[in-house]
Amino acid sequence: MGLSQKISQLREFLEETIKILYYYRSRVIFSFSGVALGILSICVIVTTIDGANRKAYEIFEALGPDAIMIFSGSERQRTARERVNTLTIYDADSLQRIGGIYDVLKIYAVRGVNMKYQDRKWQTMVAGGTENYFTSFKWGLQSGSFFGSKEYDNAEAVCVIGAKVYEELFKGESAIGKVIQIGQLPTKVVGVLEERGGTVGGPNIDDRVVMPLTTVMSRLSNEKRFLTMIRLKTSRDPDATIEDVKSVLRSNHGIQGTEDDFTTRSSKDILQFVSVISGSLFLFLGTAAIVALVVSGFVLANLFYLTIQERKKDIGIRRAYGATRKGILLSFLFESVFITIIGGIAGVLLSIALQGTFEKLFDIPMVFSFKVVVFSLIFSFLTGLLSGLKPAMKASRIEPIEAIRG
Amino acid sequence: MITLKNIKKSYFIGERELPILKGINLEIKEGEFVILMGVSGSGKTTLMNIIGLLDKQTEGEFYFMDTFVDGLDDEALASFRNRHIGFVFQQFFLLPYLNAIENVLIPMVYSDKQIKHPRDKAKRLLEKFGLLERIHNRPSQLSGGEQQRVAIARALINDPSLVLADEPTGALDSKTGNEIMQLFGMLNEDGKTVIVVTHDPKLASFGKRLIRIEDGTISEDITA
Repeated sequence: MGLSQKISQLREFLEETIKILYYYRSRVIFSFSGVALGILSICVIVTTIDGANRKAYEIFEALGPDAIMIFSGSERQRTARERVNTLTIYDADSLQRIGGIYDVLKIYAVRGVNMKYQDRKWQTMVAGGTENYFTSFKWGLQSGSFFGSKEYDNAEAVCVIGAKVYEELFKGESAIGKVIQIGQLPTKVVGVLEERGGTVGGPNIDDRVVMPLTTVMSRLSNEKRFLTMIRLKTSRDPDATIEDVKSVLRSNHGIQGTEDDFTTRSSKDILQFVSVISGSLFLFLGTAAIVALVVSGFVLANLFYLTIQERKKDIGIRRAYGATRKGILLSFLFESVFITIIGGIAGVLLSIALQGTFEKLFDIPMVFSFKVVVFSLIFSFLTGLLSGLKPAMKASRIEPIEAIRG
Repeated sequence: MITLKNIKKSYFIGERELPILKGINLEIKEGEFVILMGVSGSGKTTLMNIIGLLDKQTEGEFYFMDTFVDGLDDEALASFRNRHIGFVFQQFFLLPYLNAIENVLIPMVYSDKQIKHPRDKAKRLLEKFGLLERIHNRPSQLSGGEQQRVAIARALINDPSLVLADEPTGALDSKTGNEIMQLFGMLNEDGKTVIVVTHDPKLASFGKRLIRIEDGTISEDITA
């Protein structure tokens, strides 16, 4: 048989399939929309998780892959949100002597501080940090400047505010040089941080005020010794450095074999935490999407099964005119796969069209990749194949004479 | 062309055997126009199904185009039907979602014969049957006679040597029925072997040979 004839037969077959689907459109539309919705949710899930992971990776990069955080209080206390201060300035200074550590950031943070600008009020965390706060976090400014050693040494009432705080207190007006009331302390705004965006499931990074550590300790909270957190950077392997950090702090705090009164975190831990969150998101939403697909698969199978009876004569006449059992089986399978593939494509397109809406809704960027499209098409294909199998087998077993006689 | 030797066919209802054909011996040569006549229940449709390779006999030998067809598998039988037989049925059996010309082209989808420009051929056939203005109409927009002529065109698209018609006039008024029978006569003159199965004695005169089936056996075989 010539190739051109094969092609024209295939075209004929394809056209016929489309006409059949159009003829039974009221049923087709059900299966089609079920698959489209299932695929839509899969697309949203996968792209959102990809987006969240990318975001997490950006944060990880911004934090610095070589960063180590040490918090006051044991793991248990932190989990219970019991806040105790155990780290001291002395601790920070002794950690500086560990080999490979090249950056030590001391932080004393006060939570739930009330602040006011004119009649606008806000409550958030105030982080007192050493001068290297901004370089250590690789955090840039959208306006103004950082505080320097003069402000630091003199414990001046100056602050750099996060994008969220800027939005709440200034609503887009110029903030530089303005004085806001932080607690009881009138403080001059010298800079506004650039926006970093929220983490998945975490607090909003931009919702903070940064002040010199000296100012916070002496003028905001009257603290002379303790820190809430120390942030280190190391040129060595983070895990090995953490072990050194632990032994120094244990010796400083006189801990022998009992529970540590501090907690260490590397950037790697944070990344793991984020992927656990997006992992459970995946599990939850993924299950919902699979259920949607399975349900639409069943709907498809049932509607299809019903049409077989109605199309008995159709099948009989095709068999009489030379269709084999295999041919009937394949044509019915093709029909169902055709519906689900088209449904899948519609789902993908729909999710691309709705990308903006979803991004606003979940505040997570969606990252479309080739992977998503391939995934969706494979899922649609499998749905069509599995749900079409039983009806197609039933169709192929119909004998021409029983179909024609009836 | 067709040779039947002692063909028997029984249906089994539980343990009970229900014989339909009780030993049919028959030879039909190329170019014949046969009317296969019998009352309902005589076994004529069963015989037609066996001749049309849609059903299998319980006993006996069947040669089609000098091929011993017993024991051919589904694929081979389908291919045989596709190449050699054009079916026409009482209820037309046009597919509702296809228009006239597309219905005519159905056998082409399953064909491995080299037919050039099948669409043109389908159009010519429909034109020959006076349906040129109807080629884009759906079956529901056609009269019974028109539908049957579309069905006959479909039977002919693949150049079969045998046209097998089961009560082709059963759903038509007698005038239209006569036109359809004349059409079969025309096809026969063009060289097709035609077998028309019917219970209607008025159709006997259209054929060249009359075979009467009674109670599963041939009771009469007259060549005009």
